[in-house]
Amino acid sequence: MIKYILAALVAGGVAGYLNSGFGSPLASVVVSDYLFNWSLVALLFVMGMAFGLDREAVAKFKRAGSKILVVPAAVAGGSLLGGLVSGWVLGLDVFASMAVCGGYGWYTLAGPLAGQILGAEWGARGLAVNLLRELVTIAAVSLLVRVDRYGPVAAGGATTMDTTLPVIVRYCGTDVLVAAFVSGFILSIAAPITIITITTLT
Amino acid sequence: MFDLSVVALIAALVVGMVFGWLLRQKRQMRLDRVTVVVIVVLIFSLGFSIGSNSELLESMPRIGLSAVVMTALAVTFSVVFVALARRKVKLG
Repeated sequence: MIKYILAALVAGGVAGYLNSGFGSPLASVVVSDYLFNWSLVALLFVMGMAFGLDREAVAKFKRAGSKILVVPAAVAGGSLLGGLVSGWVLGLDVFASMAVCGGYGWYTLAGPLAGQILGAEWGARGLAVNLLRELVTIAAVSLLVRVDRYGPVAAGGATTMDTTLPVIVRYCGTDVLVAAFVSGFILSIAAPITIITITTLT
Repeated sequence: MFDLSVVALIAALVVGMVFGWLLRQKRQMRLDRVTVVVIVVLIFSLGFSIGSNSELLESMPRIGLSAVVMTALAVTFSVVFVALARRKVKLG
């Protein structure tokens, strides 16, 4: 999956670069506006459908109990504080920085969504921050699990329902599986809402 | 206060969720392939927007560095918050 995504990013970047040099402004409007906006709407619709269709999610949530909600809540709070502090330290727009960190690792959403609302520069940051988050979770899982047994779940954010779940289960044990899935599921639904809410506040 | 695109984005998510919820008793639906196609098109067009912007391309190293700082802090605070929450709430 990540191979296709990186290939699409590079191909898009090269096509955009070449087009800005000696292409047509029409192609730019078609791709950057129409294709971009419609595929973003399509992604939210398809993912919304996937969330609604997921019968397992409700069953797993019941099994984990409502106290499991403290995990995604703590991850959301930590991510947003991280965005606040880093935005302030780097001298960037603090709300934009919080919004981008509110992708919780879902880079295929956070990049385009931040790009749509805040412009291409924050789109690039949204993609980078959340892609790095997934990579850090996978690369540092053995270190994170020593800090806290739920450390990899915290670091993984929204990705713990799918992409980082196998790695997390391997290092944290199978008894963390349900908590990791439920936390990732809730943060995945929360990610678009967080990004849109914070950017609307500015 | 709200521009139309933001309303459209939230509507897409909510309508999708309602659709999925209503269809969940039906036969198994496979959304994986559709999702992959949508993501590839979306990331291609984001890449296109970034590639079209020469100023943005020049400031990529600075943007990358800021992304590293943001990721490090977001991950660190998330881990600390979850570790602290686990002391208050027993999760097993």
